[in-house]
Amino acid sequence: MLRMCLLVCVMAGSMAVHAQYAGYTLLSDVTGFKGAFAAASAKMTSLSCDFVQEKNLSMLSEKIVSRGKFRFRKDNKVRMEYTQPFQYLMIMAGDRIYIRDDQKEHSVSTKSNKLFGQINELVVDCVKGSALENPHFSVRVFEGAGNYLIELTPTGKDLKELFKTINISIDKKDFSASGIDMREPSGDYTILTFTHKELNSPLPDALFTMH
Amino acid sequence: MLAGCSRPYKDLTVFRGDPGCVQQFRPRFTSALYKTQVDVVGNHLSGLLVIKMMPDSSTRVVFASEMGLTFFDFAFLPDGQFKVYQIIKKMNKKAVIKTLRKDFELILFQHTGLAGERTLEGGGLHYYAFPQEKGINYYITDTGCTHLIRAEKASATKTVVEAVLLNYSNGVPDSIGITHKNFHFTISLKRLEK
Repeated sequence: MLRMCLLVCVMAGSMAVHAQYAGYTLLSDVTGFKGAFAAASAKMTSLSCDFVQEKNLSMLSEKIVSRGKFRFRKDNKVRMEYTQPFQYLMIMAGDRIYIRDDQKEHSVSTKSNKLFGQINELVVDCVKGSALENPHFSVRVFEGAGNYLIELTPTGKDLKELFKTINISIDKKDFSASGIDMREPSGDYTILTFTHKELNSPLPDALFTMH
Repeated sequence: MLAGCSRPYKDLTVFRGDPGCVQQFRPRFTSALYKTQVDVVGNHLSGLLVIKMMPDSSTRVVFASEMGLTFFDFAFLPDGQFKVYQIIKKMNKKAVIKTLRKDFELILFQHTGLAGERTLEGGGLHYYAFPQEKGINYYITDTGCTHLIRAEKASATKTVVEAVLLNYSNGVPDSIGITHKNFHFTISLKRLEK
């Protein structure tokens, strides 16, 4: 009987891993994926797209939907501009994060604020394709029909408090990120979906500085 | 004038009024979203605040960053109890939670149905005073109780927190401002269309 129970548990466990994401299977050998991902990322110099962000407050059955424009320029410049239903601009450039919010501007050093630094690194990793090497996460890769799914599980105490997992959806066609799903320990989650993607268009310096 | 005095409530006189009249200014949140700015001793924090009335008649107040991270999730229960569902480690300090709890209780008109309320007047305004576990919450109106001028949380002698609730639409204020008088701490809420 005990043996039977153990068998059921092991089977349920192994099924849970493979059935964790509907339509995806766990990639047992990620070497090929890593190589293709790295090659595609090396060719990408910039990414411009629109985004829709959906924050789900699970216990309140409530959604907060916001929209804006996302821009990334190699190596580490990110501009995230919320335009609806509020105005909010965040620029990540090197080791500084600049924020403009209702005409108020301020900046944060990612060196003095370790957690901000890790989140900054994560955003850049998500679009740049270096998420697989991020030392603050354990990584699994799943394969679906049109996408790969990179599952990041925080290993550090501070990030674990904020995120249960972060899943990045990677388009098989060009290995660009098409969505990010951030799960919080409380059950709340935020889904970012990227649309109207434009790869390698020239993005001027002015986009990554505050005026 | 009164707020500028060192003991702003000293010269108020009692009058026979209906403390229940302030209930018309109690915000009737079903679900409201606010863009939120917090300034506290030189630090600035912004995000989104959701205030939602739950089926059990509790009011949930959830504050999250623009990018979606939940900072805190509080519940204000109809019997006056308070529950912390979630709070990030950086904010998880007794004094911070207590301050936020008292601030939101003031704007949610919590503890306004208890015995011991008084109606006072002075400076051409009516003061509806509701004793709290510690201190008093005042809801200050014109003499006809047709406009809420401001709400104040006070110690025995002085104003500790001042709050304004402006431009009500369908029972929900469009803007809310909370200002602490004894240290630099302000919360500004501006309603967003969802």
